[in-house]
Amino acid sequence: MKPDAKPALFGRIPILGRFGLWIWRNPLIAPALLVVIVVTQAPFILTVIYSLFRWNLQRPENTAFNGFGNYLDIFRDSRFLDSVVTSLSFTVAAVLLSLLVGLVYALLVHDRFFGRGIVRTLLITPFLIMPIIGALAWKYTVLSPIFGILNWIVRQFGGTPIDWIGMYPVASVVAVLVWRWAPFMMIIILAGLQALNDDQREAARMDGAGPWAETRFIVLPHLKKYLQLSGLLGSIFIVNEFDVIFMLTQGGPGTATTNVPFLIYQSVFYSFDIGHAAAMAVVIVLGTIVVVTYLLKLLGSLMGDLD
Amino acid sequence: MGHITLSNVTKQFGAVEVIPPLDLHIEDGEFVVFVGPSGCGKTTLLRLIAGLEDVTSGSVAIDGTDITGVAAAQRGLAMVFQSYALYPHMPVRDNIGFPLRMAGLDKAEIARKVEAVAETLNLTGHLDARPGQMSGGQRQRVAIGRAIVREPKAFLFDEPLSNLDAALRVNMRLEISELHQRLKTTAIYVTHDQVEAMTMATKIVVLRSGIIEQVGSPMELYNQPRNLFVAGFIGSPKMNFVTGETAAQHGAATIGVRPEHIALSKDAGDWKGRVGIVEHLGSDTFLHVTVPGAGPLTVRVAGEMAVRFGDTVFLTPDANKIHRFDAADNAMSRRP
Amino acid sequence: MAFWNRRPAAARGIERASRLRTVLAWGVALFVSFPFLYLATSGLKTEVEAPKMPPAFVPVPEFLNGIPFTYTPTLQNYRLILAGDFMPYFVNSAMATLVSTLIVLLLAIPAAYALTLPQTTSKRNVLFFLISTRFLPVVGVIIPIFLATRFVGLLDNVLALIILYTAMNLPIAVWMMRSFFQDLPADVLDAGRMDGAGTFHELTLIALPMVKNGVLATAFLAIIFAWNEFLLALTLTTTRAATVPLYMISFMSAQGLWYAKMSAAGTLVALPVVILGWFGQKWLVRGLSMGAVK
Ligand SMILES: Nc1ncnc2c1ncn2[C@@H]1O[C@H](COP(=O)(O)OP(=O)(O)OP(=O)(O)O)[C@@H](O)[C@H]1O
Ligand SMILES: [Mg+2]
Repeated sequence: MKPDAKPALFGRIPILGRFGLWIWRNPLIAPALLVVIVVTQAPFILTVIYSLFRWNLQRPENTAFNGFGNYLDIFRDSRFLDSVVTSLSFTVAAVLLSLLVGLVYALLVHDRFFGRGIVRTLLITPFLIMPIIGALAWKYTVLSPIFGILNWIVRQFGGTPIDWIGMYPVASVVAVLVWRWAPFMMIIILAGLQALNDDQREAARMDGAGPWAETRFIVLPHLKKYLQLSGLLGSIFIVNEFDVIFMLTQGGPGTATTNVPFLIYQSVFYSFDIGHAAAMAVVIVLGTIVVVTYLLKLLGSLMGDLD
Repeated sequence: MGHITLSNVTKQFGAVEVIPPLDLHIEDGEFVVFVGPSGCGKTTLLRLIAGLEDVTSGSVAIDGTDITGVAAAQRGLAMVFQSYALYPHMPVRDNIGFPLRMAGLDKAEIARKVEAVAETLNLTGHLDARPGQMSGGQRQRVAIGRAIVREPKAFLFDEPLSNLDAALRVNMRLEISELHQRLKTTAIYVTHDQVEAMTMATKIVVLRSGIIEQVGSPMELYNQPRNLFVAGFIGSPKMNFVTGETAAQHGAATIGVRPEHIALSKDAGDWKGRVGIVEHLGSDTFLHVTVPGAGPLTVRVAGEMAVRFGDTVFLTPDANKIHRFDAADNAMSRRP
Repeated sequence: MAFWNRRPAAARGIERASRLRTVLAWGVALFVSFPFLYLATSGLKTEVEAPKMPPAFVPVPEFLNGIPFTYTPTLQNYRLILAGDFMPYFVNSAMATLVSTLIVLLLAIPAAYALTLPQTTSKRNVLFFLISTRFLPVVGVIIPIFLATRFVGLLDNVLALIILYTAMNLPIAVWMMRSFFQDLPADVLDAGRMDGAGTFHELTLIALPMVKNGVLATAFLAIIFAWNEFLLALTLTTTRAATVPLYMISFMSAQGLWYAKMSAAGTLVALPVVILGWFGQKWLVRGLSMGAVK
C-alpha cells in the first residue's frame, strides 16, 4: 500500500469522500444523521426536481420537463400570490400578538402568588392541546353562531348574533393562533425572567425604580434575546400552520384564509398538480431559510463555543 | 514502581500557550506538590500527565516507557478530584469497585478488594450509601478509595481538600500523608495551601505561567529560594521585601526577610518603625510595622505581645537570614 | 393579609405578586382556558343539554337540577365512543408515537453524547444541519414523501408514520439530550476515563444514568409532537393506520354535529399528551428552545 493511500471505501470522491470518512469515524452520530438525511433532505431534493416538471397525477401522459415554467406560472397565479400574502399576514400578526400576550402572561405568573402552579398549567395548556382539537374547541364553544359563548354574550346585550368565522375569518384564525402560540412564547420568556436574578431587580428598586421603570429598564432589556428566540421559532412554525386552518376554515370562505401550506395541500390532494405544488413548496422553503438563518445565528450565540 | 518524566512538554489551548517547553522528573515514591498562583497551569500539567489532555508537543514517560499517546485509562494512574467526581448514581461499593469492573476483574475479586480498601479508609459501614448521602470528608475518602483500589503507579490529586472545612482538612491531610507512608506510591498533589505543601511534600514544584521556577524539598525552597517569586510564594506570612537605600546597603537590588526572622524590641534595633495593625493569633502575634525608608513590614513574634496600634518599636533582621536579590530578581549568594 | 402571604420574607427566590396581579392572573388563565374547559364540560353533558345556553359550567348531582349554570355530568358519551371504533385509532396513535419515540431515543442519545466529546469534529455543522431540517416546512417534502410512500406500498401503514415521526423528532431530541449531557460535571466523566471506561461504558454506565430526567424530558416532548401531528397522518393514512386526529375528522363527517359526543371525543383525543405536558412542564422550555434555554 502506498503511504498516502486514502481509505479505500470513501476516499475517491472529494466532498462525498470527506463526508463519508467523517460518517465512518463517528459511528454514534452517523445513524441519526443518515435517518434525517434520507427522510428529509432526499425528499426535498426530489421536490426541487418535481418543481421543474409539468406533472399532474391525473394526466401522467402529459408529464414533461418544464424548466422554470412552474415558477413562472405560480408567480402569475393570483391564488398563489394571495396565499403568500395570507401566510405573511398570519405570521406577522400572530407572532407579534403572541409575543405581546406571551410577555403579559409571563409577567403575570413570574412572581409567586396563590395558585401560581395551576395558573401556569392552565396557561400552557392551549399549546399542549392537539392543534385541531384546539381549533375545534374555538369553532364550537366560542365562535359558533349558535352554540358559541361569544354570541351568547352578544345576545345578552341585545345584539344580533354574528357568524364570526364567516365574517372575520382572518381575525378568527389569528385569534386561535395567538391563543395557541402565546403560551409557547410565555414558556421561553419565563425562563428568561428566571435567569434574571432577583438582586438586580432589588438593586433597581433600591435605586428608586418603580414597577414600570423596573420592567422597562431592567427586565425588558434582559429579555431581548429570549424574545428574539421565541419570535423566530414562532415565525417558523406559524408560517407553516396547517392544522388550525384545516379545522377552522378549510382555507375559506373563498380563499380568505388559504395560506401557502394549505394551498400546496389542495394542489396535491385536490388537483393532483405535483409540478406546481412542488414549485410552491420550494418557494416557501426558501422563504423559511431566511428566518432560519437568523435563528441559527441566535442559537449559535446562545450556545457559546463549540468544536 | 512509578517514576514519571516529562520532556519538553508544551500545551496550547488554541493560540494560547499555557505550558511553554517544560522538563520535570519525578522519582518513584516521591510526594510531589505543585504550587503556584491561580491559572499558572497546575491543573493543566496534572491533566497532561493523566492523559485527560493531549500534549501539544513533547513526551510523557512512566517508568521509562513513552506513554504520550496512550489513553488515560491505560496509563495506570489514578486521580482524585477537587469535586470528588463520584458517580452519584452508584453506591459507594460500586464507586470504589468501578475501575476494577472496567479492568474486567471478576465479582468476587472486586468485592474482596473493595472491602479491604473500605476497611483502611473507615468506610465499611457506608458501602451501601450513595455519595449524595455522605459528608464532604466521607466523599473524599471514597474518591481516595476509588484511586487506591486499583493499585496505580501514581496518584494524581487536584486540590483534593479545598472543598473541606478547616478541621477536616487537617485530618484528611494527615490521612493522605499516612497513606503515602504506607503505600509508598508516587503522588503528585496540586494545592493552594502552604501548610499542605510544606508538610506533605517530599518535593515542591513552584510554577509560574507554566514555567517551573524552582524544584526542591520544602526546606530548600524555604531556605534557598532561587528568586524573588519563589521567596514570596513560599512561607506564610509572606517574606518582606525591601528595596532602595536599605537594600543597597546589603549590596542588592532587593532584600528579603521572613517575618519570623525579625527581632522586635521596644528600646533599640536597626530599624525604627510605627506599629499598624496587630493580629493576635494566640500562638503568634503578627505586627504590621511601617518603617521609614523600608516600607511596611510584617513581623511575627512567638506568643502574645503587648503592643498597640501607634506604638513605636525597633526591628532587627537576623543578618544570617537575609535573602539578597539582584535587579533581575534572582537570588544572590548569602553575605559571607 | 391573606394567610398565604405569611411566609417569611427571607424565603428567597422570586418575589411575591400584588393582590391585583393575582386576581388578574387568575382571570386571564380562566379566560384563556374557556375553550378547552368548556369542551371538556360539554363532553360530560347529554346531547340535549350540551348546546343549551346559557352555558352550564358547574357539575352538580342530579337532585340539584335546575340551578342556573349547572348540569348533571354523565359518562354516557365516553361509553358510546369507547364502544365504537375509537380503539383502533388510539392503538395506531400509540404505536406511531411510542415506537417512534423509542427509536428517537436510541438514535439521539449516542449522537448527542458524541456531540459533547472533544474529539468529535464538525460538531457545529452537524448540530446546525440537524436542526435546520426540523425547521424545513413539512409541505416542502410532503409530495415526494407521499409518492415514495405510495411507491413502496406503505400508504396507510403505521410504519410510514413511525419513520417520519422519528425523523421529525430526532433533531430536537439530539439538541435537547446534548444540552443535558453538557451540563454533566466534567470531572465525573474524566474520572470515568481515568477508571478505564471507554466511550461506550462512559455513556451507558456513567453519563446516561446521570441524565435520566433528560431522557424522560426528551421522550415527553417527542411524544407530544408525534401524538399531535396531523398533516402527515392526514396525507399518508386513510383507514387502517389512521391516528386519533383522523378519528376526530372522520367522526365529525360521519356522525354529524353531535355536540356532546364530539366534545367528549375531542377531550379524549387531546387529553393524553395534555396530561403528559402538565407533568413535564418544567422541561418544556428546554425542548422548545432546542436546549438553548434552561
Ligand atoms: N480547556 C481550556 N481551554 C482554554 N484554556 C484553558 C483550558 N483549561 C485551562 N485553560 C487556561 O490555562 C491556564 C491554566 O489553567 P489551569 O487550570 O491549569 O490553572 P491552575 O494553575 O490549575 O489554576 P487554579 O489554581 O485556579 O486551579 C488558565 O489561564 C486557563 O484559563
Ligand atoms: Mg486548578
